[in-house]
Amino acid sequence: MKEIKQQMIDRILKAFPDAKNTDYDGNRLDIAIKKESVPALLMHAKEEMGFRHLSHIAYIDWIEQGEFEIVYILWSPSDKLKLFIRTRIDRENPVMDNIDMIWRQANTYQREMREMLGIEFPGMVAPDEFILEDWDDIPPFRKDFNTLEYVNRTFWHRPGREDAQDVRETITKRSGEEIPDFAKKYSR
Amino acid sequence: MREKATTIYLGPQHPGITGNMMVRLKVMGDTIVSAQTEVGYLHRAFEKLQERRNWLQSFTLMCRFCVPETDPMENVYARAVEAIEGREVPERAKYIRVLVLELARIATQLMWYAGQNGSLGLYTMGQWSIGDRDYILDLFEELTGGRIYHMYQWPGGVRRDLPEGFTDKVLRTLDYIEKRLKDYDDLMFNNSIFQKRTQGVGIVPLENIIENGVVGPVLRGAGIKSDIRIDEPYEVYDKLDFEVPTAEGSDIWARALVRRAEVRQSIRIIRQVIDKMPSGEYFNKFPNPQKWTIPAGDAYVRIESGRGEVGYYVASDGSQYPRRTHLRGAAYVHAITLLENILPGQNIADVSAIMNSLGTCAPEIER
Repeated sequence: MKEIKQQMIDRILKAFPDAKNTDYDGNRLDIAIKKESVPALLMHAKEEMGFRHLSHIAYIDWIEQGEFEIVYILWSPSDKLKLFIRTRIDRENPVMDNIDMIWRQANTYQREMREMLGIEFPGMVAPDEFILEDWDDIPPFRKDFNTLEYVNRTFWHRPGREDAQDVRETITKRSGEEIPDFAKKYSR
Repeated sequence: MREKATTIYLGPQHPGITGNMMVRLKVMGDTIVSAQTEVGYLHRAFEKLQERRNWLQSFTLMCRFCVPETDPMENVYARAVEAIEGREVPERAKYIRVLVLELARIATQLMWYAGQNGSLGLYTMGQWSIGDRDYILDLFEELTGGRIYHMYQWPGGVRRDLPEGFTDKVLRTLDYIEKRLKDYDDLMFNNSIFQKRTQGVGIVPLENIIENGVVGPVLRGAGIKSDIRIDEPYEVYDKLDFEVPTAEGSDIWARALVRRAEVRQSIRIIRQVIDKMPSGEYFNKFPNPQKWTIPAGDAYVRIESGRGEVGYYVASDGSQYPRRTHLRGAAYVHAITLLENILPGQNIADVSAIMNSLGTCAPEIER
């Protein structure tokens, strides 16, 4: 397998001189590349190198560096190799190439990324909403999305369920019953 | 007179739909013209929650990704963390994991027996197979404490060793299920209603089938021998002897034959696992969970679940919390692009049966 792996890496680096390879054990190939070359590399991997199966597209928010990372994970059924193609895009103006003409199911991943990170995919045909409905905040999978603040603003707190209260005491107070002896040691 | 297309909504409240999702169908008479999957009814943002929980707390959320099949999710989390951290797993733990995964596969297929037949109006089969599945859930309860959510396979091994006499109980249950499979054949596969409703229905096109992301029993039902247990062996599957069943036809019937054969193969695997189970440790200790950090890096691991490929991506930035986790379920492709593609031209009455045979699982799509 090692020779095939090395041959694959050499082929990619020859066709895409700006690509950067990281070595991993086992059947994993890992290539970092600038975003403009991603569709060409994906197409090359699919059509020329046997990576026919798009296994996954993962996305990460690296807020400290001001970038989003997108990781395309391909699988080659003939060589039993896993290819990671990773790219970084600007967080301020996130635009990425649409690849759903290479793999149809990439459309679903891109819909999710558009909704959860706010990445635009020009030319993608898909309904506006995927999972979220009437979302009015920043995309929720961004690291600067404040979950607690959103929940407090959006949802109504049911009285009697405030934090740090003793549920047993509240119930007994309401019903007028005593806390049973065996349960007293758990009450504060 | 020109016929007008009518829009009907299958779900989210519909006995034939597989979970909390909806398929918007445009129909002319009984025939579907176009279909669109709509999700958003049970988004729980588990992946976002995991970003705020430490590595052990995140593990407890894993089994909740897909209710009918919880163990593959635990396994991919454990293996992904082990892969980034380089943590070793004792041999015995690997065997126990395979035992649990294969029991889970049988339970999933028994549940599928119920769903597939229920969607065609054959309810007796469902009552039988769900009843028999409970014997497997009993085993899970004894082993893990939970019937559905097990939280059993964690990074470094499994949470408990097998209880005394457990393997005997497993073997007895398998003998019983094996006997029952003959009854299932009589009631289901030899039933002319089942044959007529499934043969030639819900055909997944063979053209570009791998490129279109089709996996698992659906791919094997199209005659392609593809199984992650063979292609990218994990745990101890490379030391076990089993076959990957395939069928020709790419219709509901072919996929049913594949699943029928898979139950038998799982029984075969479990018997070997019990036979070969080594003694020794079942768990390599991890540090105090409050101070447990994982080195920076990422991993993507795949597993063959009862419905097909499940993949799990984890990225760590070296802290106590996962930087990002992301699940890929079989249904993410099957229930959206594939389903939307194969429904046009089908009869409304077959939609539920097709969804069941594709292994649709709504919680896996929106997580």
